[in-house]
Amino acid sequence: MKREIEVLQCLKEKFGAEGYVRRDRRVFITVDAEKVKEAILLLKNKGYEHLSAISVTDWIKDGEFEITYHLWSYESKILVTLKTRIKRDKAIIESISDIWGGNARTHEREMHELFGVEFLGNDDLVPLFLEDWDGPPPFRKDFDWRAYVREKFYSMDNERERSYYD
Amino acid sequence: MINVFERLNDGKYTIYFGPAHPGSGNFGVKLEVDGECVISARADPGFLHRGFEKLMEYRIPIQNAVLSDRICILESLAWNLVHAEAVDELMGIDVPERARYIRVVLAELSRIQSHLIWFGVISAGTGFDTGFKIAFGLRDYILDIFEMVTGGRVYPAGYICPGGVRRDFPRGAKERIMRVISKICVDEDTTVLEKLENKVLKDRLEGVGVLSAREAIKLGATGPVLRGSGIKADVRRDDPYEVYECFEFEIPTMNEGDAYARYCVGIEEIKESAKIVRQALKMMPDGDYIAPQFRKPKLHVKIPEGEVYVRNEVARGEGCVYMVSDGGDKPYRVKIRGPSFLHMIPVLEHLLCGAEIADVPAIYWSLNVCPADMDR
Repeated sequence: MKREIEVLQCLKEKFGAEGYVRRDRRVFITVDAEKVKEAILLLKNKGYEHLSAISVTDWIKDGEFEITYHLWSYESKILVTLKTRIKRDKAIIESISDIWGGNARTHEREMHELFGVEFLGNDDLVPLFLEDWDGPPPFRKDFDWRAYVREKFYSMDNERERSYYD
Repeated sequence: MINVFERLNDGKYTIYFGPAHPGSGNFGVKLEVDGECVISARADPGFLHRGFEKLMEYRIPIQNAVLSDRICILESLAWNLVHAEAVDELMGIDVPERARYIRVVLAELSRIQSHLIWFGVISAGTGFDTGFKIAFGLRDYILDIFEMVTGGRVYPAGYICPGGVRRDFPRGAKERIMRVISKICVDEDTTVLEKLENKVLKDRLEGVGVLSAREAIKLGATGPVLRGSGIKADVRRDDPYEVYECFEFEIPTMNEGDAYARYCVGIEEIKESAKIVRQALKMMPDGDYIAPQFRKPKLHVKIPEGEVYVRNEVARGEGCVYMVSDGGDKPYRVKIRGPSFLHMIPVLEHLLCGAEIADVPAIYWSLNVCPADMDR
């Protein structure tokens, strides 16, 4: 547990971050959106070389997106989850693709497609999974997929699909 | 005349590897080629996108356990385990010791059968058909065990569920597993597959698709791909889960970083998995196979508020689930991190640049990919 607390302390001092140690080898840290890239660079230089994933959580009640970066260190064997919150109606954050190259670029591309978060500095935000998609970003909490499917693919006139309108 | 031909035809064109290619699975790569040489590659995923992460937000953990089978068709039990562990950790369930051993045995068997498929498709992709047939034949023995224990050959329907496993090992299962293992691993350090190895396979794989250790880390490669580039990292050892600390096993690595190195790591891993299965069966204690409060599953159990990031070593690399709960009975957000996501997009694009067209299937399959866990 000692090394986990050390990482937490270091980020607390440098960036005024908040966080907690959940268990052995798992640290969760929250920083401000402006400082997130700096914090990631610092962690990378500390040996957190493996960017495991980038994820977005849609906290619709707070009107915010939470962006999480999961970083693993092969040396100290700790997984740091770096979290930051941005406004939902102004979902823009700096890209980290210049730090991790193709790895970060692909993760950000996915999150851009599914949540509509803009990553400044990522030149490759073209759609990844969804082809010819014209709806809103589908993983947002306010996307009503039942209504979308009904409108787009089903028809009242079709006897077998009428039940979806009840 | 030749001059005219060269002027009119500069030899550059675009070809598609997949999704209708017999060796590509539900996945496509767009290749820009100059003559025989690939100049650039662009992955074209999405043919298998089912949106599990969103689907799971609408379902309770018992339903999600069944969904988690489908994340990767080729190793459904391993993904069952990742999901179950995430819920266990969020809810603070104390999983009985016996259930943990059963989980490990099934996860390792799942790894062996997945690596057999891997061997099969590499063989098929490089024109060594005998290997393909023998590997798939051997895999069927393991599927028989899955059918005996879980009830399903490919999809266990959430056998590894939050709290433990759905039912105990049936009578005779241990002996049967031992028999099957000794069919695949003739003794401690030889598998049937090594006896099959021939010159064709080696010639096609050696020196092809070289991934340096630095690039492997930067591009996020994990599992056999990372170990084939000489980095000794394994989630089972570095970040132990279930009862992996109790077992003795090696982490095979190769320094070359080419397709043949990855293939060799795969073969070695089959032996190590067999070792773990043997130890686990020997050490398996008696007792409960599921936590008492889950024996009769209640439908609407509240998941305490919180978040977890669970990492497992699935056959293809690092399989993770990031689960967030807001205190309801369904997870608020589930992020699934499949190892093939990075292997099939940045790593594959990187390796294909400068390769020859004939080597594309060899490189593709040497990464041990699964379109299902990339698209999710």
